[in-house]
Amino acid sequence: MNNFGVIEVASTATKTTPGWAYVPDTGPSLSATALQPKNRKRAARNTQPGLSLSDLTARQENKLRKDLEALNRDNQRDVNIPVPSSSRSSHKHTPTVRKILQSQKTFANHLDDYQALLALAESNPAAVVNNPLLFLNKPVVATPQAKSASPAPAREKGGSKRGQAAAKRAAVKAAAAAAAAKEEEEEEEEEGRKRARQLAAEGEDVEMIDSPAAPPDEVEKLVETYPADGTILPAYRKRPPAAHPGDDDPLLVSVVPSFPTDEELRSLMTAPPLSYMDSRAAFGEEGERYPIRVFCEMCGYWGRVKCMKCGVRVCGLDCLEGHREECVTRYGL
Amino acid sequence: MAPGRKPKSAGPAPPSSTLVLDNGADTIKAGFITVDDDTSDNAPRVIPNCIARDRHNKTCVGAELEKCKDFGEITFRRPVEKGFIVNWEAQKEIWDRAFFDDKAPQRCDPSTTRLVLAEQPNSLPALQTHCDQIVFEEYGFSSYYRGIGPSFNAYQDIQAIFHTPRTPDTIIDVPAEVILLIDSGYSHTTVTPILQGRPLHTAIRRLDVGGKLLTNHLTRLLSVRHFDMRNETYIVNEMKEAACYVSLDFKGDLDKTWKGTRGERRKDYATGGGIAKDYVLPDSHTRFHGIVRDHEPGAAARARKSAVSTEDILTLRNERFSVPELLFNPTDIGLRQPGLADLVMQSLSVLPVGLWPGLLANIVVVGGNAKFVNFIQRLQVELLERVPDECVVRVARPEDPIVSTWLGAANFARHEHADRLAVTKQEYEEHGAAWVARKFALGLGVDTLR
Repeated sequence: MNNFGVIEVASTATKTTPGWAYVPDTGPSLSATALQPKNRKRAARNTQPGLSLSDLTARQENKLRKDLEALNRDNQRDVNIPVPSSSRSSHKHTPTVRKILQSQKTFANHLDDYQALLALAESNPAAVVNNPLLFLNKPVVATPQAKSASPAPAREKGGSKRGQAAAKRAAVKAAAAAAAAKEEEEEEEEEGRKRARQLAAEGEDVEMIDSPAAPPDEVEKLVETYPADGTILPAYRKRPPAAHPGDDDPLLVSVVPSFPTDEELRSLMTAPPLSYMDSRAAFGEEGERYPIRVFCEMCGYWGRVKCMKCGVRVCGLDCLEGHREECVTRYGL
Repeated sequence: MAPGRKPKSAGPAPPSSTLVLDNGADTIKAGFITVDDDTSDNAPRVIPNCIARDRHNKTCVGAELEKCKDFGEITFRRPVEKGFIVNWEAQKEIWDRAFFDDKAPQRCDPSTTRLVLAEQPNSLPALQTHCDQIVFEEYGFSSYYRGIGPSFNAYQDIQAIFHTPRTPDTIIDVPAEVILLIDSGYSHTTVTPILQGRPLHTAIRRLDVGGKLLTNHLTRLLSVRHFDMRNETYIVNEMKEAACYVSLDFKGDLDKTWKGTRGERRKDYATGGGIAKDYVLPDSHTRFHGIVRDHEPGAAARARKSAVSTEDILTLRNERFSVPELLFNPTDIGLRQPGLADLVMQSLSVLPVGLWPGLLANIVVVGGNAKFVNFIQRLQVELLERVPDECVVRVARPEDPIVSTWLGAANFARHEHADRLAVTKQEYEEHGAAWVARKFALGLGVDTLR
């Protein structure tokens, strides 16, 4: 169309006008999906701040939950297969046995019972003090030490996460300390090596200095990474492998973390079992997570395109058409 | 049947034989161990742990499933949920038929037998108590130990699994000093570090992905892409076992199996790219089990067109590797849990760094999922990316990962640890179920190591 001689020049300025725009959608937000919601109540209060519209909607969340539940079923349909009546002469069961045999509880019921019991024990310890069922895992509930060693279960995320981080820090510190001690010990002979290392770090071409010959008590030193009086895991007493000329190469020196003492091992080996929920692995800190991959619902290739009606991911136009048929029957035109 | 109620003879005579039972969610592994006889039972009997009903409403219990031929639309009732025995009504029926009936193939008299039962770690106390009560009050075993399945694996010759070079005079440590055991079974996958046969309870981690979830996921994929297979769990499971593998290059494999954009004909897709396989479904008349074939382009279409079609062919493409991929990336289906390699790292993170080298160099994978091709290699590659450079990572699986726990438990039954840990019926009657549960929970302790 004739534009009265005005030629529009593409400008670099962008306007923020209401309407729509292409934005990179990298899948559901990690912050929202970090934890499988164990408790769907008070979701609004429990979610982390900074959620945007592209986060999982309640509908998607529900669908996800239902899908996972379906994946954990034994059969597609609900079936009720009675135990075939046997010709066995039925004898009398003891009352406890009869109760157990007649119980129709599922695992979910038992788990709920157990969680209720734990909650009761936390709020009112006196009420369950003599309950034999709780006694088993009581140390887990009661001692803060055992708790802090466990990974972050959703309920007590804060505390145990801190504990985990602390444990990690302690471990790193211990390793560093051991390395430092070792270094101090052989400082003199290390002088030359250090210089070489420094120079190498600076990126210069260095003439390699001959490292000092291995001291005869090298073997003893290796063994010293174990505590001398370790009885739980005794040190390696056999002959070490034959010496190799590369053993003394300063660039190949490896730091061997110090071995835990018997007391540490003892406390690890006698620690009581964690409860069922605590042993479930969950995502910990932010850095442990990877971007969530999304796949085409139809063919399983990368889900690169989103259906505008229902948000399902597909890989391309072919699959999108296939999906449309289903989408239209479900949500209408 | 349960002769436990007759008056106890004076003095606890040591039981002459031991029934070793690995009561899995999918199959029971069972066999007898006789004292002073190392060769009494070298392989367990594997019994399906289910009550199944086929489409003609015929019910088969446990081992009777082997006689069943038509697995179409078969439904299952499983007494074990999430790895733990929950429904004792069904479990008792299966046990009775296998061990205690007059015509049972592995008949035993509980009053002169010790029972060694493997259970999954981190069980619920109520379920454990039920188990103890049934064992003593219903069956009346003369002595009994219920232990954590993964830790039984330590009672094997672990270094033989790794093919560690050694001289013939090397003493085999039983239990092994250090292993990190991964048990990937029907209901879930657990990571258990074990020192001297004692599990480190604080470091046991569980991933809720198991064989059942994988099968159900494959069923869902096939139902979207091919036929409705939702009622054919058994057939899909066979398909999974025959055709699925763990990919070492997920991105590359996914690209090879992509059909391409509209109008594009990719060569890899047309020829199968070395990945696509044809699976011939059982027809319940002549074939009762499916067959895997190399992909033959156009075979499925031809079979569909021909009037006297004899075979139903399913072409499996990315389903082959995207299903076991869930073990390593559970977030692919929205399950918010770390993958297997991260699971191992989480377990290690609560342990002192000094233990890492030993554990990482002795990773044993057991359970049915370990049978996937390349499972071991993939885990090793992923772990190498995550651990310090200096650590040696060795991952291995025993010859038969399914019965490995049973073999370990059998060795345990011969070991003197079994005598230390087992509880006799008399003790149960004297001290009660809570005492027994506490004794089992305490385990071996570390005061006397050997």
